[in-house]
Amino acid sequence: MSFGTSTDEETETGTGYPLRRVVLYITLVAMGAFYLIPIETGVMTSLTSPGSYTGQFPYLPPLEPLLSGTGEFSLQPWQTAVDLLGQGLVNSVILVVPATILSGLLGSMAAYGLTTVSWRGQIAIYITFVAGIFIPYQAVLVPLTQFWYNVVPLRTAFQPVAYWVPFIQNYHWKLVALIVTHTAYGLPICTLLFRAHYKKLSDEMIEAARLDGASIYRIYRRIILPLSVPMFAVVFIYQFTQIWNDLLFALTIVQFGDASVVTQELVGLGVSQSGTNFPLRMAGALVAALPTLLVYVLFGEKFAKGVAA
Amino acid sequence: MTDRKGVSRRRVLQGAGVAAVAGLAGCGGGSGDSGANSIELLHAWSDGDGNAAIEALIGGFQEAHPDVEFAEEPVNGAARSNLDQVVQNRLQSSNPPSTFQTWPGQTLNKFGDAYDDIEGDVWNDDLKNNYLEGPQAQAQLDGTYVTVPLNIHRINNLFYNRNVLDSAGVDPSSMSSPGDVVSACEQVAQNTDAVPFAQQTSGTWSTTQLWETILLSTGGIDGYEAFINGNGNRSDVKAALDSVVALSEHYPSDASSIGLTEANTMVMDGEAAFIHQGDWAAGAYSNADGFNYGEQWGQVTYPGTSGSYLLNMDSFPFLANNPSPEATKTFLSYCGTAEAQVLFNAEKGSIPPRSDADVSQLNQFQQDQYEDFNNADSQPPSVEHGLAVSPGIKTNISSAFSGFLENYDADATADALLNAFN
Amino acid sequence: MHNPLTILRRRLRGRDARTDGGATEDGESFLSRESVRSAPFWLPPALLIGVFVYGAIGWNVLLSLTDFTGLGTPDYGSLDFENYVVAFQGGTPSWSELTVDPIWNSLQNTVVLVVGFAAVCLVLGLLLAILVDQEIRFENTFRTIYLLPMSLSFVVTAKFWLYMYNPQTGLINIALGAFGFGPVEIVQNPDLKLAAIAFALVWQFSGYAMVVYLAGLRAIPDSHFEAARVDGASTVKMYWRVIIPQLRTATVSALVVLTVFALKAFDFLFSMYGYQPGPSADILATRMVREAYSNGNWAYGSAIAVVLFLMALAIVSPYIYSQYKRGAL
Repeated sequence: MSFGTSTDEETETGTGYPLRRVVLYITLVAMGAFYLIPIETGVMTSLTSPGSYTGQFPYLPPLEPLLSGTGEFSLQPWQTAVDLLGQGLVNSVILVVPATILSGLLGSMAAYGLTTVSWRGQIAIYITFVAGIFIPYQAVLVPLTQFWYNVVPLRTAFQPVAYWVPFIQNYHWKLVALIVTHTAYGLPICTLLFRAHYKKLSDEMIEAARLDGASIYRIYRRIILPLSVPMFAVVFIYQFTQIWNDLLFALTIVQFGDASVVTQELVGLGVSQSGTNFPLRMAGALVAALPTLLVYVLFGEKFAKGVAA
Repeated sequence: MTDRKGVSRRRVLQGAGVAAVAGLAGCGGGSGDSGANSIELLHAWSDGDGNAAIEALIGGFQEAHPDVEFAEEPVNGAARSNLDQVVQNRLQSSNPPSTFQTWPGQTLNKFGDAYDDIEGDVWNDDLKNNYLEGPQAQAQLDGTYVTVPLNIHRINNLFYNRNVLDSAGVDPSSMSSPGDVVSACEQVAQNTDAVPFAQQTSGTWSTTQLWETILLSTGGIDGYEAFINGNGNRSDVKAALDSVVALSEHYPSDASSIGLTEANTMVMDGEAAFIHQGDWAAGAYSNADGFNYGEQWGQVTYPGTSGSYLLNMDSFPFLANNPSPEATKTFLSYCGTAEAQVLFNAEKGSIPPRSDADVSQLNQFQQDQYEDFNNADSQPPSVEHGLAVSPGIKTNISSAFSGFLENYDADATADALLNAFN
Repeated sequence: MHNPLTILRRRLRGRDARTDGGATEDGESFLSRESVRSAPFWLPPALLIGVFVYGAIGWNVLLSLTDFTGLGTPDYGSLDFENYVVAFQGGTPSWSELTVDPIWNSLQNTVVLVVGFAAVCLVLGLLLAILVDQEIRFENTFRTIYLLPMSLSFVVTAKFWLYMYNPQTGLINIALGAFGFGPVEIVQNPDLKLAAIAFALVWQFSGYAMVVYLAGLRAIPDSHFEAARVDGASTVKMYWRVIIPQLRTATVSALVVLTVFALKAFDFLFSMYGYQPGPSADILATRMVREAYSNGNWAYGSAIAVVLFLMALAIVSPYIYSQYKRGAL
């Protein structure tokens, strides 16, 4: 095993690997442990049976009776968590998939219209997009409630749809409202990310297409869209995470009931006045985090490459 | 949820109903059938003993009044803050629910004129004669009866683990003042390895309720009432804070990282001697094996506050512009009966507010509490749990305690507490 | 004969496609302007943002000028800046019986948190990126691990960090103990609280900064590295003088997103402390939510929200402007 280029002074360690590389790897592994430990703690807690949970040594596996104080191993919290969170997970998926796709597509279109096609005044519009990134969500909760519950008759307009289309229930109107809201609030950052990407595309290529008489729409579909695939990966991953983990908008627009998404259900999971069931809460948190964790594990490389492209 | 396995006739009716409903202005969340007889009750008891209690109550009500329909909706969320938000939205769109779970007393100020008078219809002589003075006062807003309290939790308890106290040589019944509690803690620390006082400080609420309990002792019932009316005596307030500071020496060292559950578990496992909490903590004791009332654990009225039953209640108010006024009044009247209250409290771990309830179905601890309640000289309302002061003042008090938890400065906090009313 | 329809059509469609796609000139008709032709692309998103984002902010600003306290409907007839005066000076506003504290404490904490978090995150991200850039094996694995915390929600991480900061069994104190320092109270320690929160947020988001910097580093041609080495510069000097100045674009890009994350610190604080994080950790967002939802002072809460929004803009604008000036926006 050779460890690549070694530059100036090498200090050989006894094993023949340069000291620098050893230190480098030790640092990297230590940082990796730093990032993983809190997650590991949660996993260990979630595998403990609630009755035997003591709260000491949270990062050790539940090895009762070998190590006292660590609690007994049990898969029950996970089973309970999956049972209780099932509906919430479904609702979250219904929410996240359309919202992510929509905000990605619309962001790419907006960036195209504001970047690749150049016209005067577009920078002003773009600046208003960028400013929209910094809205604190807490500030807009009340207007949003008023909008969806008092101003827009979406609930009543949705009922015929729920009646005629199979699998769609009445309460899904809340998820539709949430999808639209998340799309709107995700647009600024998506546009920013796409614009940074589009600015790097070669102008000559676009020019040549224009000269050939291609319409704006054609250029988008044939040239820009295929070139945006790496950026789509970044945007999708980012938006997926943000929307999946969002709690505030869900609480405000869905409030309660059958349309609750998984973050809402997590808040009250395992909590009652006589005590908190920590293994259940941790198991629930990990169940809720599994989709995003999977997305990062499977697509993390695309994410990193996309940011680079 | 829509029942997809329903009969086709139902679908036809639904289809016809859709056109009709589409014509109505949007209703808030709840069943699509907004008949005048359907009660919409919003609450936050989505789990645990609270959920069991509300189910028992509604079950009993449906048996007694089978013709009234229920559309009870749990609002999932920690504490009741999400519930309040939902109710607020409904009120603003002039679409109130029938009733919802709230604390009585000064908390009612939050939605001030959203309530309607139920004296006579619900608060008839039967209720008036059987509710003690304290809870009855809490059921009123500015002198008008608007809500029906359902249960009472006591705040001025001191729970202890018998074995630990025996090892330390402490006799809990011999304590008669907050200072005695501090001495007992010192004794426990000297003679055992256990943590003397299992308090948690990651949130302000446990500290606030501890302080108000001790204030009941340093100021007496008069001093307490003076404080909640804005005329607190500074030396009483500061003396109570000093006592908390003294107790804090005996907290677990990780008090700020643990919650109520962990603190309570310490007592159950014999790793802590005392815990001050509302009597919902005893719910966890009932569920634990081999940890029995009178044998392994016990409770005394917090030393120095005997004769007072510092309380916290839940209640169901009657909202104005009610979508189902008659049905709601029937339900509230039912909640005011002794049978309903016993049904609810048996699951909840609290006691009925009516003094004529048959508590033989409740466990021994609840029965002892009930006896204390009916023999108490006064039933002061809790500050921490929203009964005693209006929400704005309560937030100021909580802010004062959030500063207290950082620096334990009794002087500055005493000033902040007295200023909370300005 | 000129067919009137042809004339009309020509008017509307204008001349042939222009190759420079530039701004309109005289004689260019409305429908052939680039802005209009590309409207199907940018107009729907702009409308969405206009309604949901700016509509909401606009309503917020309007509300902050009223006296609304949650009961009934806001009175839009009498608007004044009273809430802003009270926000900066304190006092008893006309809609309240109690005095209201000014927001200076929260403002200061917010600035400290955002700046501190962003700075540490960028530095840590850069260091990690430099390390990962050293042609290591298992690069993908390390990168994924560093990114994982970003995928978790605050409800989850708040409980993790309560564990980590536990004076008895928390890993932070165990690590300190290994170096001989006694157990330190962190969660309710006024001196350390804000730093502890920033630390937890850095843990969660430095992976993103690393990814951005890694991309930026990889975009710098190897020749730059070589040239600096040939000149005899030490590694540190090489990075400091040659490489880091070229990472400006990456820094701005990461900074924008990190500021967004810093604003989300509210979720984390709320999960850990509820409505009362304590004076040393009270930021504008928690103050705003407390005023609006606990106290019912909705108009005042809106005023605080407007201040928070403007402050976030103020922090990021200088960098965005400098990028704009370089034409790299």
